[in-house]
Order: sequence, then C-alpha cells, then structure tokens
Amino acid sequence: MSYKCSRCKRDVQLDEYGGVRCPYCGHRVLLKERSRDVKEVDVN
Amino acid sequence: MSAEYDVEFVEREDRDARFLVQGITPAFANGIRRAMLADVPTMAIDTVRFVENSSVMFDEQLALRLGLVPLTTPPVGEFVEDDTVTLSIDVEGPATAYSGDLVSSDDLVQPADENVPIIDLKDGQRLEAEADAVLDRGKDHAKHQGGVAVGYRHLQRVAAVEDLPEFEEPDRRIVRGVIEEDGELVPTSEFDHDLSNRYPGQEVTLEDVPNSFVFHVETDGSFSVEELVTRAADTIESRATELENAVQL
Repeated sequence: MSYKCSRCKRDVQLDEYGGVRCPYCGHRVLLKERSRDVKEVDVN
Repeated sequence: MSAEYDVEFVEREDRDARFLVQGITPAFANGIRRAMLADVPTMAIDTVRFVENSSVMFDEQLALRLGLVPLTTPPVGEFVEDDTVTLSIDVEGPATAYSGDLVSSDDLVQPADENVPIIDLKDGQRLEAEADAVLDRGKDHAKHQGGVAVGYRHLQRVAAVEDLPEFEEPDRRIVRGVIEEDGELVPTSEFDHDLSNRYPGQEVTLEDVPNSFVFHVETDGSFSVEELVTRAADTIESRATELENAVQL
C-alpha cells in the first residue's frame, strides 16, 4: 500500500511495467501514502 | 561572600513568588538568577516516535510542541541525567489533543498542566505517539528551563521629606517593585505603582537599599519556587566546589 488513486481512492501497487497509472480506472494521478513504520523524531 | 544574609517573602504562591534577600552582592544575586534560568535540570520530552499522525501538521512540528510541554520534575536523586521516562499519547479526531492526554510511565513525571493544546484533530485524523522525556538543563535547550520570568530589582527606600507647596499640581512618580517604608515592605502594586497616590501632597525621596534585592520568580510548573531557588543555589555550590577542586594541586 504505497499509492492511492486520486480518482477512485483505491490502493495501487506500482510495478516496473505499468507506468504511472491506476490499474482500476486508468487515472494518472496517484497520491503517495504515509508509510506504516514508526518514525522517530528528535526535539530540537 | 559574607555569611550573614536574610530572606523575607513578600508574596508566596506555589509557582509564583516575590522575596527579599538582604546582604548579598549584586554578583551573587545575578548568579542565582542565571542559575535558575540555565542550570537547574528539568524533565522535557526529547525524542518522539510517531506511530500515526494523520493531522495537518508535520511530525517535527508536533515533536517540538510536545517538547515544550512542562513536565513535573522528580526530587533530586530520583533520576540522573540520561534516564528516560516514556509518555504516550493517543487521540482520535474530532477532538483537541491536550497535554493532559499524555500518559506517563512514571507517577513522578506528569504534565504540569492538563490544558496545553497540542493539536486540533478533525474527523478521521489521529495522533498516536510515544515520547521519551529526559533530564537536562536550560543551557542546552529552553524547554528545560524551570524558571520562566525570573528577575530582581533593588529594594527601594521611600521617605517623605517635605510638604509640597499648596495648590501645586502633584507629578506622577512611577515606581515598580517593592518599597521599604519605615521597615515595612510594600509592593508597588498596592498603590498603582504611583508614589503620588501614597504620599499625596508630599515630596518624597527614593533610594536603592544597597545589597538588598527583591526577586520575582515564576516557575513553569516543574517544581515549586522554593525548590527552584534551592536547586539553583545547589548548582552554584557544586560548580564552586568543582572549581575549588580543579585549582588545587
């Protein structure tokens, strides 16, 4: 789950062949989702 | 420094106090003030691990806000530098995340105030994070300042010298701090900081009392004023001892 189609709001996995395109609706605008891992931040 | 000195409280609350110290040098008064600002260790959040942050703010901005939340500091000896206390927060929108939502793993280290807003969360937004608080000094980061708004003024002695000529319009005479009036301490706020209110129609003289300082001390809630002042004095003492040992061969 690394991208989300901006038109149909479905999760999209990109591979090296498909190019930047939603496999469900063909929309070319994809949004990158925040990664699931815990992010450590220093306060300064 | 001379051994004889005298302390008298003018106003005294838990987080806010005003007291008169007599018989200390200006250098020592300033040393105490600086120690209260920079040398008394307090707890503050230093690292934050974000599990989820779908709020409108960046992790770094929220981390800074969490760092600035005043935490109660445990008594001396309970903690040493580099010890950490973990606090966690988990708030789901629509709601505002407050400092009171921080759950601490140690009863001695709690948010000093419950009502410091951290972020406003809208519907569907969520903040879940874990934070480590450490003990450090104001020198290293302002979030570790236990004393906020710390300062001192000379005690001022007021004496009425003569009556003003009749029909003369009295001038305002603004003074701030604490005045001494026949041995009595009077905060200037009692007469709206204007001596012409207290001595109508009289000519007054005002002079600094040498080596008498009225401190005004306010803490961020980490500890009480007494605790702050005594810890500040202790840090001066420990540094003086360190210097003494260093210069001895």
